[in-house]
Amino acid sequence: MLKLRYGIGAVLALGVLTGAAFAQDKPVAGEVKEGSLKGKTLTFVSYGGIYQDGQAAALKDFVDKSGVKLLNDGPTEIAKLQAQVESGNVTWDVVDTDDLPPYVYCGKLFQKLDLTKLDVSKIPEGQVGECSVPAMNYGVVLMYNKEKYKDNPPKSWADFFDTQKFPGVRGIDGSGSPTGGLLEQAFKVAGGDPKAMTVADIDKAIDVVRKLGPDTIFWKTGAESQQLAESGEADMLMMWTGRAMTAVKNGAKYAPAWQDWLVVMDQMTIPVGVKDTDAAYALLNAYLGKNAQEVLAEKTSYTPINSDAQPKVDDSVAAFLTNTPDRQKQGYKQNFKFWVPNFAVAQEKWSALMAGN
Amino acid sequence: MSALEPTTPSAPQRAGWVWRPFALTLPALLLLVAVIGYPLLTIVLRSLSEPQWGMQNYAWFFGAPVNLTVLQRTFTISAWVTLVCVVCAYPYAYLMTAVGPRVRLVLVLCVLIPFWVSGVVRTLSWVILLQDSGVINSLLRSAGFDGIRLIRTQTGVVIGMAQVLLPFMILPLYSVMKGIDLRLMRAAQSLGARPSRAFFTVYLPLSLPGVYAGAIIVFILALGFYITPALLGGPRSTMLSTLVQTQVLSLLQWGRGGAMGVVLLVTTFVLLALAAPVMRSRHRDVGRR
Repeated sequence: MLKLRYGIGAVLALGVLTGAAFAQDKPVAGEVKEGSLKGKTLTFVSYGGIYQDGQAAALKDFVDKSGVKLLNDGPTEIAKLQAQVESGNVTWDVVDTDDLPPYVYCGKLFQKLDLTKLDVSKIPEGQVGECSVPAMNYGVVLMYNKEKYKDNPPKSWADFFDTQKFPGVRGIDGSGSPTGGLLEQAFKVAGGDPKAMTVADIDKAIDVVRKLGPDTIFWKTGAESQQLAESGEADMLMMWTGRAMTAVKNGAKYAPAWQDWLVVMDQMTIPVGVKDTDAAYALLNAYLGKNAQEVLAEKTSYTPINSDAQPKVDDSVAAFLTNTPDRQKQGYKQNFKFWVPNFAVAQEKWSALMAGN
Repeated sequence: MSALEPTTPSAPQRAGWVWRPFALTLPALLLLVAVIGYPLLTIVLRSLSEPQWGMQNYAWFFGAPVNLTVLQRTFTISAWVTLVCVVCAYPYAYLMTAVGPRVRLVLVLCVLIPFWVSGVVRTLSWVILLQDSGVINSLLRSAGFDGIRLIRTQTGVVIGMAQVLLPFMILPLYSVMKGIDLRLMRAAQSLGARPSRAFFTVYLPLSLPGVYAGAIIVFILALGFYITPALLGGPRSTMLSTLVQTQVLSLLQWGRGGAMGVVLLVTTFVLLALAAPVMRSRHRDVGRR
């Protein structure tokens, strides 16, 4: 018995040693050296709720193994981060953000990532930014009221913007920032080509949204969009997939039109000026691992960003995961190159629409 | 005789009487300077210095029609909220002075208990009441009427804000009304005034200081409301704080956000300065009658 224990100990020690040796030259997503961060503290910042709970659960292995003390803070606010960076007192070590900020403030608020310290080999193509790796994937999908449209359901965003053929109340994400993909779809309806969009075209796109009329609902929170579906107050809704899934689970008689669903994601970043950059990298690398991503998907129903991940989810959740081959074919990716430099202009014009002008 | 005359306090003692209250207010003054004065100064400075020194943020504010529309709307909504609060609070505060202590306690609790519940929770309860499939509309429909759009309208925002702010109106009104001697009304009636006349010439003017105090508090608090218009309103009831939030939190334009705050503050001061003579002269009239 004693021998056996020593044997296991030796194997474990060997494993840790090779793991450590590996970590020296090439990191593997999801792996962290035993006890490597003992006595250190990391603050992880995200958007709270079941999402951040799920992220914390996904990081539990990392915490247990590395011995780090993980603090959770939030919600993410870029203005708060800016104040920290400017005062030289950055207390947020790893920050989960929206789609665009890591591109807009790359190098200013967010560190350019050293990809030799991360294993990004399992991340879906085109999602690693200069200053970010994805935190998860989700979609913005057109949900319609099955009872209202019966045999003639809307099939695309063009139908969403067509109030002649498809009368009814629309619900749009009014939580703050414009959704680039939606404006591109609106611009298409106005007869334009999103690939060749100019700043002046933002107005044309916003006009298409404005033409939906005064009955249009701009929901402020994900919870509100879900409530609009469950109470049936909107006939067609632009919804986040997680909320759409929950609404359908709760009995909303809505169905998704998947054509050109808008690909969106949250990003993981390391702010400029964090005290222990290597510890932050270790967290990121652990987060990208297969197991961590499976836990995340099972707890939050968001789509994992490690292509090996096989989360065990029930059918209602699986119906809204966006990483299946079919969904990947139908997805619409926004014109990042256009929106990053024009973020402020678009936000300004979108805010004016939101303020009733 | 001279021995009975009160001795006049000596000069240094008198100076002490003047300064002692100031010394006692020092903690409050320091706190105000630290948590209001300094941040406010920073906001003013940033509105003038970011991205570079100059008036660009103010030029931007007055150059964008949406800002002016929303500024005007912010004042309009606040005025409506104040009016609704006065109309609702006046009879309620009067009732509080007219009933016995036990009923008064119940009335006070009715005001204070919602006051202790967070504004967000109260606003969300209004969502449940006001939404198209909500309580009010279900009742209307079951009574055979058409439903009405309440949520995401200015009406809905005014209702929600007025409920949240009502205690700020009732409490100052009550504190003034309870000091009014109700025998004055009886005296007026004994001199031949009809009850309505007695109310308008005696009671109402005496209660006006309470109305003004409450109205000013409610109006100023309403100007800065954020959560309630965000949750109960639609695009046409967006208030200035929402625009400030967009500038600061999503565009990191602290200068513009600051300028918006300063414009709101200055406009409020101007309005109050305009209203002050009206309030004061009315008050003096009461003394004359």
